[in-house]
This record gives sequence, structure tokens and C-alpha cells, in this order.
Amino acid sequence: MNWEAVLLSLKLAVSVAAILLVVGMPIAYWVTFSRWRWKFVVEAIVALPLVLPPTVLGYYILVGLGPRHFAGKLWQSVFGHTLPFTFGGLLAASVLYSLPFSVQPIAAGFDAVDRRLIEASWTLGASRLATFFRVVLPLSTVGAVTGLVLSFAHTIGEFGVVLMVGGNIPGVTRTVSIDIYDQTQAANYDVANQTALVLLLFSFLVLAFIYGTSRRTLGLWRRS
Amino acid sequence: MALEVAIEKRFQGFRLAVEFKADGAPVALLGPSGSGKTMTLRAIAGLDTPDRGRIAVDQRVLFDSERRINVPARDRRVGVLFQSYALFPHLTVAENIAFGVRQLPPDERERRVEDQLASGHIAHLASRYPATLSGGEQQRVALARAIAPDPAALLLDEPFSALDTHLRNALERQLRETLATYRGSTLFVSHNLEEAYRVCGDLVVLAHGSVAARGPKEEIFRHPPTLEVARVTGCRNFSRTRRFADGRVEAIDWGCTLRVIQNFQKPPEHVAIRANHVRVRPWEMSDQKNTENLFPCWLAAAAEAPFRVTADLRIGTPPTNPTDFHLQAEILKPDWESLRIVPQPWAVELAADRLFLLPD
Repeated sequence: MNWEAVLLSLKLAVSVAAILLVVGMPIAYWVTFSRWRWKFVVEAIVALPLVLPPTVLGYYILVGLGPRHFAGKLWQSVFGHTLPFTFGGLLAASVLYSLPFSVQPIAAGFDAVDRRLIEASWTLGASRLATFFRVVLPLSTVGAVTGLVLSFAHTIGEFGVVLMVGGNIPGVTRTVSIDIYDQTQAANYDVANQTALVLLLFSFLVLAFIYGTSRRTLGLWRRS
Repeated sequence: MALEVAIEKRFQGFRLAVEFKADGAPVALLGPSGSGKTMTLRAIAGLDTPDRGRIAVDQRVLFDSERRINVPARDRRVGVLFQSYALFPHLTVAENIAFGVRQLPPDERERRVEDQLASGHIAHLASRYPATLSGGEQQRVALARAIAPDPAALLLDEPFSALDTHLRNALERQLRETLATYRGSTLFVSHNLEEAYRVCGDLVVLAHGSVAARGPKEEIFRHPPTLEVARVTGCRNFSRTRRFADGRVEAIDWGCTLRVIQNFQKPPEHVAIRANHVRVRPWEMSDQKNTENLFPCWLAAAAEAPFRVTADLRIGTPPTNPTDFHLQAEILKPDWESLRIVPQPWAVELAADRLFLLPD
């Protein structure tokens, strides 16, 4: 059982989920409420990771963040090293890769909020920001929690992008899924089996916990 | 304390052009569905933007297309009681009412909420969630929430449409009480004329996106300026007319000639009378020599309500089938009970002072 890999996976998934909650929220808000006619282009870009093979996405991230390109150069000049094959690079790639898993459920949650409640909030003197925090967000917690859970779970299970961008550096970029792959390649089926089982149980428990509690707490004001 | 509205907005196949004033006393915006009532209300609240025009409350300009002023809804201080109430489901009754007074100091905020809970008779519901309230309770909470910030104008969008009849009466009385102490302008949107008549002093009648009549309610009910307004105000008996001389008109659709009092510069197109002004008696009991506009009539059909009967009557000759009638009369139950056993024809009187003539 490779605890180092387990911890690394957890650290990555928690970071990705947290970042996506903050980044995904404004994107989802814009996607839901904007009346811009070219909005669909943005929606399509956000949804790209859903259909792209992880290797394609990983390839572009690898090249884009590499020392030959603008983003990579900029990063290198500020932080003194390149992003690929570091935890930071892995994190950036994972955030991009899980973006739709966060934005889409959050946007669906926003979309389900009755527009008349939003209008009522305005007529009661609340600004758009106040309306968001006091009406829209509290009424779409299910969407936000789903986005959080899905981006977490999706990151735990990702493989292709990690291998392309992060490589396989113990303690830095070797996540559980890579570790299982390594152990299987090396015919260490016992270890692979153990790690896989732990991953399976852990993922299940987290999902069950979050779904269970969210339904209970959110159900409070819905029940009559 | 005045609300001034003069707006215009074009939609596909519909043009809204509305102009009216409301000062002090509640004004009813009356009209059939699709006449532009809700659009007008949304424009005043700042939820929709007119193409052209001006909206002002107490001389404070909220919208002026020429001066490019368009105050956002949150700064308009216009309270809205939505048709669906739009209570926040995740907040308690007290929190819903406090929503609009958040910027006040805590003790003042507390006081406002307490006041509204007390005057709306909903103090016992303070910590309940909207989903646990009945329709009438939700309506009272929504009204309290709209009034709590002390808005400059209050817009009520069909506030009773979702309620049972027996609830309406009590809530309507409470609304009248509340409005009596409210100092801003009130606009009451409704398609129910009796309700509008009871709650408001002045009426603005909308038809097809424009104002068909406005003024004191008694005036509009007594002399509807057009056929459309007569319909909206509940009149059901109309006849086209021919000839107009010596204070008499021929009612083509009713097959009779009527004396009228009203004077018209140009010939009227229609003569009309309200169903509750049509008087029906046994023929023997009528004074045929000294009563004007008295005709023999036959019953085509009758619809009985608990306390009154709507009788479909035909003037001059007996009807050939139940839909063959000229006008409707509202008759009180006791009168009906004694009338129905008398042989027909009966006598119908269309009193000259109850008839009105409509140009159009």
C-alpha cells in the first residue's frame, strides 16, 4: 500500500475541488445569466474536456506550459522552474480537466432558481451580488455540492492527463491511479489490489457521505 | 404622493402604450388578460425596460428615455406583491420580511419586522418557512415584505388570484386596512372588476395595450366610454342601434325602440344595460301605460346561483331554443321564486336612466 500516493491523490483532489468551487462559480453564473449571443462558444469550450481524450488535453497542456511557449515562459520567469512534472503543473492540468464537472452542475443549480425570486430580491433593494449570496446560492446548494463532489471524484480517478503532464515522480506526481498502474505492470497484484480497493471504498464513502448529508440539510425547508 | 406613467414598448404583434397618473388613493389597473397590465407593472418596477417614455414617483424620475435615465429595480423603492408571492423558500417569515430592510440599524430593522408581523396578523408565523404556510398566509407575508421597506409606490399584481373565494373576503378587507395607512401610491392590477371596485377609487382600464378609460370608478361604471370598457366593467347586454332622433333609438338586436336620456353629438353605435339593472315583473303587475321602455318578454334559459338567478330573456316573441335570447337579467332569488310560477310573457323594463349609449 503506497500511502504516499494516496496522500498525494487526496491533496490533489481536495485542491482541485476547492479551486473549482471558487473558479467554477463565476463561470457558471455567467453561463446561466448572460444574454450574450456568442455564449455557446464559451459553453462549448468549457465542455471540451468531457469529450477530449485525456491524452489530447494533456498534450496541449504539456506543450503550452512548456518552456517554449508564452504561458510556460511567463511561469518560469516568475517561479524559476517550468510547470510540467511538478505538483503545480499537475494541479493546473487537473483543474482544466475537471472544469465541466464543476461548472455544469453549478450552472444547472443556478438555472433551477425561480427568476421571480431573483426579481423579488431586486425590488427589495438587493444588489446583484447580494442577490447572488442571499438568494441564488442558498437555493442552489445541491448544484454546488454536486459540482464539488464530481470534481473531487473525477480528479481522484484521472489517469491520462496525470501521466502526460505530471509524469510519474514519487511523492510529487505519482497519484494512486498511477501507482496502481505501476504495481500492475510490475505484477504486484496484491499491492495493486489493496490500493484499488482502498480507492474504491474511499470514493464511495465520500460520495455517500456528501450526498446523504446534503439531502438531509437541504431538505429542511423543503419539507412541509 | 404621485405615480406618473407614460410608456411605450413594442413586442412582436403587440404594442403597449400606456399613460396614467395615480395620486394617493389606490388606483386599479383593470383589463382582460393580455391587455398589458403585468407588462406595465414590470416596467414601473424596473424589471422590464420600455422603448420610450417616462416613469416618475413623487417627482423622482425612475425612467426617462429622452434623458437616458433608467434607475435599476433595486434603487427604485417600488414594492411589488407578486402574483405568485415569490417568497424566499429558504428564509423564515421574519427573515423574508427583514430582507428589504437589511441596511437599517438592527433595532430599527427589528422594529419594522415586528410592526409588519403585528399589522399583518402573522406574528405567530414568524419562524415558519413559506412552504408550511397556506396560500392566504403566504399572501399576507408577501404583502408585509413588500411594505416593510416603506416603498414610494406599491404594485399589487392580482394578489387574490390564487386564493379561494372565502379567503379573498378576509384578505381583501385586510388589504384595504393596510392600504388606508400606507402613504405611497398604490397600483392594483386585477381582472376582477368587483375586487378592483372595492379596493380602489380610480380605475385605469387597459385594452389591447392602451388605456381605454381612466377616472373615478363610479364615473367609468356609469358611463363607460367605449364598448370595450363596458365589457371590461362587466356589462353583458349590448345591441346595435339605428336612427337616433327625439331621444329615441332603435335597438336592432333587441327588436325594440327605446327612449334614452343621454345626449350624443354623433350617433351611437350601441346601446347597453347592465344585467342587474334589467327589471322583470309579471305582465299583469306592470303599469303598461305609464312605464317607458316596457316590453313583453319570454324566458329562454335560467342559470341559478345560490342567491340570484341569471335569466336569458327574449323580447317580443317566444324563443325557439335556449340560446335564442336578447338580454340577460340578474334576479334575486325571492323575486325569482315568485316570478317563475307566473305565466309568460313577463314584462321587462329597460329604464332610460340605466341605459347607456356607446360610440365606437
